[in-house]
Amino acid sequence: LRTLDVFTPKRPRNLVLSLAACALLCAAYAGSRRLAPWSPKHGLGLACGVGAALVFAANAAHPLRHRLMRWVPTAPWLQAHVHLGLVAFAAVLVHSGFAWPDGELGAGLLGLSAWTALSGALGVLLQKWIPARIADGLRVEALYERIPALREGLVAEADARVEGAGEVLLRFYRRELRPLLSRPQPSWAFLFDVRAGREQSLEPLRRTRAFVPPEDRERVEDLVALYTEKLELDAHLSLQRTLRAWVVLHAPAAGVLLGLVAFHVWAWAWY
Amino acid sequence: VSVPDPREELRRRYEQRLELLVPAEARELLALPLFAKVPEKARDKVVEKTRKYLHLVPFSPGETVLREGDFSDSAYYVVSGEVEVFLSPRAPGERRPAPHVRGGPQPPRATTEQERRAAAMVGRGRALAGFPVEPTGTAVLGPGEVFGEMGVLSRYPVSATVRARTPARLLRIRLPGLRMLMAAAPEFRRAIDERYRERTLGLHLRRVGILSELSEAEIAALRAKAELLSFAPGELIAKEGTPATSFFLVRGGYVKLSVEVAGSDLAVTYLRAGDFAGESALVLDERWPFTLQAVESVELVRLDGRDFQGFLSRSPQLHARLWRETLARLKARGKAARDPVASAYLQMAIESGLIHGESVLLIDLSTCTRCDDCVRACADTHGGQAVFVREGPRYRNWLIPTSCYQCSDPVCMMDCPTGAITRAVGTLEVTVDASTCIGCSNCANNCPWGNIVMVETGESRPDGRPVEVSSKCDLCAGRPHGPACVRSCPHGSAVRLSFKDLDRVRAALR
Repeated sequence: LRTLDVFTPKRPRNLVLSLAACALLCAAYAGSRRLAPWSPKHGLGLACGVGAALVFAANAAHPLRHRLMRWVPTAPWLQAHVHLGLVAFAAVLVHSGFAWPDGELGAGLLGLSAWTALSGALGVLLQKWIPARIADGLRVEALYERIPALREGLVAEADARVEGAGEVLLRFYRRELRPLLSRPQPSWAFLFDVRAGREQSLEPLRRTRAFVPPEDRERVEDLVALYTEKLELDAHLSLQRTLRAWVVLHAPAAGVLLGLVAFHVWAWAWY
Repeated sequence: VSVPDPREELRRRYEQRLELLVPAEARELLALPLFAKVPEKARDKVVEKTRKYLHLVPFSPGETVLREGDFSDSAYYVVSGEVEVFLSPRAPGERRPAPHVRGGPQPPRATTEQERRAAAMVGRGRALAGFPVEPTGTAVLGPGEVFGEMGVLSRYPVSATVRARTPARLLRIRLPGLRMLMAAAPEFRRAIDERYRERTLGLHLRRVGILSELSEAEIAALRAKAELLSFAPGELIAKEGTPATSFFLVRGGYVKLSVEVAGSDLAVTYLRAGDFAGESALVLDERWPFTLQAVESVELVRLDGRDFQGFLSRSPQLHARLWRETLARLKARGKAARDPVASAYLQMAIESGLIHGESVLLIDLSTCTRCDDCVRACADTHGGQAVFVREGPRYRNWLIPTSCYQCSDPVCMMDCPTGAITRAVGTLEVTVDASTCIGCSNCANNCPWGNIVMVETGESRPDGRPVEVSSKCDLCAGRPHGPACVRSCPHGSAVRLSFKDLDRVRAALR
């Protein structure tokens, strides 16, 4: 059920409306196709092309939302960006007559539209999946920029904790644990399980407990807590980095698409 | 027409504030009739203990001592001269509008009317609009009179403007000093209580829904029988399961109301000034159905159960109304026991101090993508310096960022030597005027939640130390569309809640 939550829209009404618009476009395409041979240069084909181009231009203004129309809250902006983007992709499909274009420009436009739409959808899913996983599975909350400083703090705390410890614990800490504590260990596995690998990572440290004198056992427990916290920071690092990085798949492609659309419109008008 | 120089006014205010912060001399205090009310044996000790909270301040004719709608941390005792009390002219029955916060609290959804009624476990007073006062126009107070004590004890905004009528010398008594004096001098306490009983209690009782229809004579009789009590923080007021023999009306402070379920205390709600409890238990002739405990220093009005029932029994309509309310509260009690999660949220709010908040920023971590748009929007609105930090305590999936709660009772406003930190009349946002802030850190040190920070301005003092000013959330004062943090959140994860409306808090945090 948790997994399915990702597919639950925040504003179901908006999704229903955009899907209805897509269905309407497809129905209109089917009806129009029966009446006359399909052409992207006339009638519905042209209207869909122009509409999609306008939506692409409007959606490209998304990063400028804080400067343009400051009185509009950001949440509706994002909703409009996502749902209009979906409808625009449907309009592009209708514009192309649901066929792969012959020319390189047409193929590029359709390919980039599909890539932009799919990467956008991936972003929506990641933005719903990752925060829910972090809130559910991690006790620590960290600002992305402060993760290195927090990790250094943990190392300093661990260094202080092992001061005066017995030889066995000290050797284990210096050789095994400290290097692990001080370097980030990002992993894709955190995307599916925020506690991925935690037990395996902690196991050697827990086993050490049997080999240290009784007075060092409390130190081992403290080190377990510190290392657990560090593993949570690793999960934060990986997941927050993913939340920031996915846009690399989307924004440059969208920029190129906008440029190609501008060229396509100019070429159509010129010739 | 000569225009007063604002800097001159500022300097005058600053000097006056500095004067206010100088403790009064012990010998001067001992000469005041006020201290004659303290038993002689304890007098020197009381003076020494309270001195740091007592300041002798001169006022020129026409000078304002208290301003209607402001929050005050002090009562005043007239040493010499006269002051005049002005009440805003108001039509009969007209009420002052309740102060509001910019952008308003934004609960995601409201509960239904039925749910709201069922959740009304206790009687609720009206919004924090001001202490009830008789519309008597003006009054003149002379030596030996005390004023401002009701506002400071109840944490209501000041209900009248007070100006010096003649050259006057006033003893400013800050809240801790007032409490100490009331505890040390039973006669002084009695005088304060009598004034409350005479001037306000009747109106206060009328605000209790079930008593609102009693006749003047009946209210006067209740007033005479009412007992005025004080409780220290953490003190038990009534224990669940013990015989209920009282009706309580809260004058000031917060009271936690909890029920015991499976051996642990579940906070159900809390009572604040104007709220009341106990009448249901009295009418059902049952034991206390919940425990009442003072969260902080609390002032209560107690009516004896027999007196209370006696009045109710004379009016069948009142009795019927009481039964209806009792039924609703019994339902709420069952609901609280069945829903420990809601209770846990309340407990968290009480423990973390969120109950004081008029507009608390909360971030839902299960939907927040950590994009920091809220922080950027805050910085854009405040000249590049964000006034909140997206870090703080976490409760379940909610982050409570380090951002001003805009407390009902803003203790940060006490001790500001230049009056730079203020709450405008009719609003609930507390703002700092950077041009008059001298960076003394008093507000930051006074804020119990650490939500005020000192930031460097980039300038240096003559001794080389950096110039600092106080920085806190002002709910984006000057921005027409309200707090930028909430409006700029693309996922609707940032919300602002007033912990005064517990039904909405429950609905929002679920």
